[in-house]
Amino acid sequence: MRGVLLSGGTGSRLRPITHTGPKQLVPVANKPVIEYAIEDLKAAGVTEIGVVLGHKGREEIQELLGDGSKYGVDITYIVQGNPLGLAHAVGCAREFVDDSDFVVYLGDNMLRHGVSDLIESFQSDEYGAGIALQEVSNPEAFGVADVDDQGTVKRLVEKPDDPPSNLALIGMYVFSPAVFDVIEDLEPSWRGELEITDAIQSLLENGYEIDSHVVTGWWKDTGKPEDILEANRLVLEDAERSLRGTVEDGAEIRGKVQLAKSATIESGAVVRGPVSIADDVTIEDGSYVGPYTSIGENTRIAGPHIENTVIVGESEVTTNGRIIDSLIGRAAQVESAEGMLPEGRRMVVGENSQLHL
Amino acid sequence: MRIITHSCPECGTVVAANELEDNRVMKCPREGCQEVLRFDDLTEEEQEFFLDNRDQYQI
Ligand SMILES: [Zn+2]
Repeated sequence: MRGVLLSGGTGSRLRPITHTGPKQLVPVANKPVIEYAIEDLKAAGVTEIGVVLGHKGREEIQELLGDGSKYGVDITYIVQGNPLGLAHAVGCAREFVDDSDFVVYLGDNMLRHGVSDLIESFQSDEYGAGIALQEVSNPEAFGVADVDDQGTVKRLVEKPDDPPSNLALIGMYVFSPAVFDVIEDLEPSWRGELEITDAIQSLLENGYEIDSHVVTGWWKDTGKPEDILEANRLVLEDAERSLRGTVEDGAEIRGKVQLAKSATIESGAVVRGPVSIADDVTIEDGSYVGPYTSIGENTRIAGPHIENTVIVGESEVTTNGRIIDSLIGRAAQVESAEGMLPEGRRMVVGENSQLHL
Repeated sequence: MRIITHSCPECGTVVAANELEDNRVMKCPREGCQEVLRFDDLTEEEQEFFLDNRDQYQI
């Protein structure tokens, strides 16, 4: 079984964070989203991975993942170029998968329990494809599968008014090589893309059985800022306490705190987990870092109250205000306006930023 | 839709035809690979097919 990791897309819903890099590299609990996918594939025994690149972030993604050896996998890059749809991205991987079954993983998606069960449930002799499903409360907003008692898919419907089930497709698939011939016969959809659901539908119409696997743990598409915060919360929830850095006398630490080796929590600072603090971070006197916060490398926190927030890294936060539910991009400076006249907030805000003041 | 790709003979990186056609001559997109890839590396039949159906490979 090989793996195809789709890592294209523009990341437009994550601007301004994605003005400077691809969405797959946004950190969740101080680890780029795409690394979770590589680790899930590895855990499922998939060590030959084709990483499909679009236009954006090619160099950055290669720089992070390299040849895959640091993760114990072997990576081949596949340059899709124009974003002609997920089925086109899969089609570009034909030479790479070389007639074997393969699993398709969306590089900006996260699954609590990985893809092992999906792969196990799929058996190529029987099925043309396997799809991951999750129960949702609003199936009319998703692609929905109608399945029988054995989990065999009867049909797929896109955003149905009258959903046949509450089982939504979540963007993880296993395919037999039969899918390539089907993709070759596909026509672009109304939005000019080759759609993966059309490919699966067409496998069904060509007489292939489609397996399904209902995912029980959480699944997160990290396309929007609030999704990053939610994914960060979910990952930190499962984290273990590990204090490898320096905790000064007089610092107060409670709960699951992950403190990297060269990070420091100074006397007078309060940290309440679950929290992840990366290398070269200093939490100074008078600061409060509360639950579900991740602070990226080389950051100085001096005075604020922070909760449920992701700080990407290389920042200074020296205001003594309260910062909650925030996503703060690389090298952002958040300083105090106290004592400055005339009174008021002073901002240099990037394109597509969102502020609630 | 027929999907035409070419693999770098040096490092195995796969490049879609639309990318090759955009550039005609390009350095392999794999960081550190010095191989030069050309649209002409595709077979004549592939080149012809791509150019005849060029529109569907644009977005
Ligand atoms: Zn190369």
